[in-house]
Amino acid sequence: MALRAACRRMRLDEPVHQTVKLFSDQATGYCVQLPRWRYPVVCNTEAGVVKYDNYDGHWGEQAHLDRLIQSYAVEKSILEARKQGHPVTEQSLADGSIKLTVLVGSGN
Amino acid sequence: MKTILIVISPNGESKVETQGFSGSECRQASRFLKSALGTKRTETLTSEFYGLQSQTQTENQQEN
Repeated sequence: MALRAACRRMRLDEPVHQTVKLFSDQATGYCVQLPRWRYPVVCNTEAGVVKYDNYDGHWGEQAHLDRLIQSYAVEKSILEARKQGHPVTEQSLADGSIKLTVLVGSGN
Repeated sequence: MKTILIVISPNGESKVETQGFSGSECRQASRFLKSALGTKRTETLTSEFYGLQSQTQTENQQEN
């Protein structure tokens, strides 16, 4: 699963499916604990929705969540490309972006 | 050589670009990725400290 791979990429604990409290609300889904975040982020990967409460950055750095979303997109793309039988190479760019090159019809 | 390039920015937005395909072949080739990446949606359940609405949403369409 791409979310699990994204957590491994960021050296985070594996996501756990559960219901958690987010300050005044609660949410159910795959929960990921980001570094120094008060509450976990709750991911519904099928719907493509992430629920969280970081109190406008006071309870968790937005950059950590952004990086999780980036890592998820990378892992999901790699997973889907490989399912199609396409080899993928990965390159980190200077601005922090990650570039994936998928070779199509390479006879693999 | 036919390639699909995907660039994923630090905030998770993705761009998909095809190279070496002819005509509508490119759309067909990258469809599985666009379908997999789809639309990113985050929901911030803001705390009551804000004294604002209890829920806000941002939505970013990921596209080619």
